[in-house]
Amino acid sequence: MHELSLIQSLLTIVEQYAGREKFSRVRSLKLSFGRLSCLDRKSLEFAFSVQSAATIVEGAALDFEILPARIYCFSCEEDIVLPGALAEYCPRCQGQDIVLSGGTEELKLLEMDVD
Amino acid sequence: MLVRTVTNILDANNRIARDNRALFDEKKVFVINLMSSPGAGKTSLVERTIDGLRDRYRIAVIEGDIQDSFDAERIAKLGIPVIQINTGGACHIDGNMVQEILPNFDLGAIDLLITENVGNLVCPAEFNVGENIKVMILSTPEGDDKPRKYPLMFEKSAALIINKMDLMAHVSFNIDKAIKDSLIINRNLSIFQVSCKTQAGLEQWFEWLRDRMNDFFARRP
Ligand SMILES: Nc1nc2c(ncn2[C@@H]2O[C@H](COP(=O)(O)OP(=O)(O)O)[C@@H](O)[C@H]2O)c(=O)[nH]1
Ligand SMILES: [Mg+2]
Ligand SMILES: [Zn+2]
Ligand SMILES: [Zn+2]
Repeated sequence: MHELSLIQSLLTIVEQYAGREKFSRVRSLKLSFGRLSCLDRKSLEFAFSVQSAATIVEGAALDFEILPARIYCFSCEEDIVLPGALAEYCPRCQGQDIVLSGGTEELKLLEMDVD
Repeated sequence: MLVRTVTNILDANNRIARDNRALFDEKKVFVINLMSSPGAGKTSLVERTIDGLRDRYRIAVIEGDIQDSFDAERIAKLGIPVIQINTGGACHIDGNMVQEILPNFDLGAIDLLITENVGNLVCPAEFNVGENIKVMILSTPEGDDKPRKYPLMFEKSAALIINKMDLMAHVSFNIDKAIKDSLIINRNLSIFQVSCKTQAGLEQWFEWLRDRMNDFFARRP
């Protein structure tokens, strides 16, 4: 559901850029978010396809950079990328003294390819 | 032509939330954004917190929960100013919705404003409304896997209230696991085990909240 309000905000941001940078068509948009942020790629794509109709981004390709879950392990003293969702142990040393260090990043517009 | 943007999609909401925050600061209003799944006990905790703190603070409530249209009436019955936000079916409250209803309050006569968000463990955490702190409730019947499944809200909250402790034995909720996972996500999380039904554990929550509020008021004499 929140995908609808996020895509609405995205369209507003693109239109503001279009006014400033004087472009009239968007070929593609690159977005990013963390895989633990509870955003759903399919819902974003669907919301985009519906809401972009008759705007300057209609038909633009969406490109996603999905950032992995990461923990900091106090035993390894290192930031470690997790293969999946949040784990209870450090995948390297099985240590439990860990803290989430990435994966909940909010939705960002990284770049656009425009005409 | 490639245009580098790196813009947070929530920027517009964050700007409105900052405006709300500036107004709350000026009027010295401490604001809680209260979040949980439907039925976890938000309205119950609001009622208990009003009971526990009303002798010291002037309290008001914003009701955004659409699960139960009687929530606002429950609060009004206590003689507390309460405004119901019409979210129009939205799954969260945003900064703009709060901004629009603020003229209905006499902010100069409020010390603590509690915003009961829509029952939802996902997106309320993304949308700031201008709060001092986010507080979330996890109730034992929901299961101890929630931190792992919905880490964002745990990460953004200052306090986690584990509610319905009176039911824990019946619902096989592993409290140690829930706490451990929550602290992996957020080491600074203050965790309270309470029952809004029996009132067990609520005094610690009140004390913690009083400390946070007094810090805030001391910084803005
Ligand atoms: N057993 C038990 N029931 C509770 C507790 N707290 C709330 N409830 C009940 O849970 C239901 C939902 O509570 P409510 O405060 O309306 O939840 P909300 O939807 O999050 O606002 C109500 O029937 C409450 O009486 C508790 O600590 N123990
Ligand atoms: Mg409620
Ligand atoms: Zn390790
Ligand atoms: Zn939402």
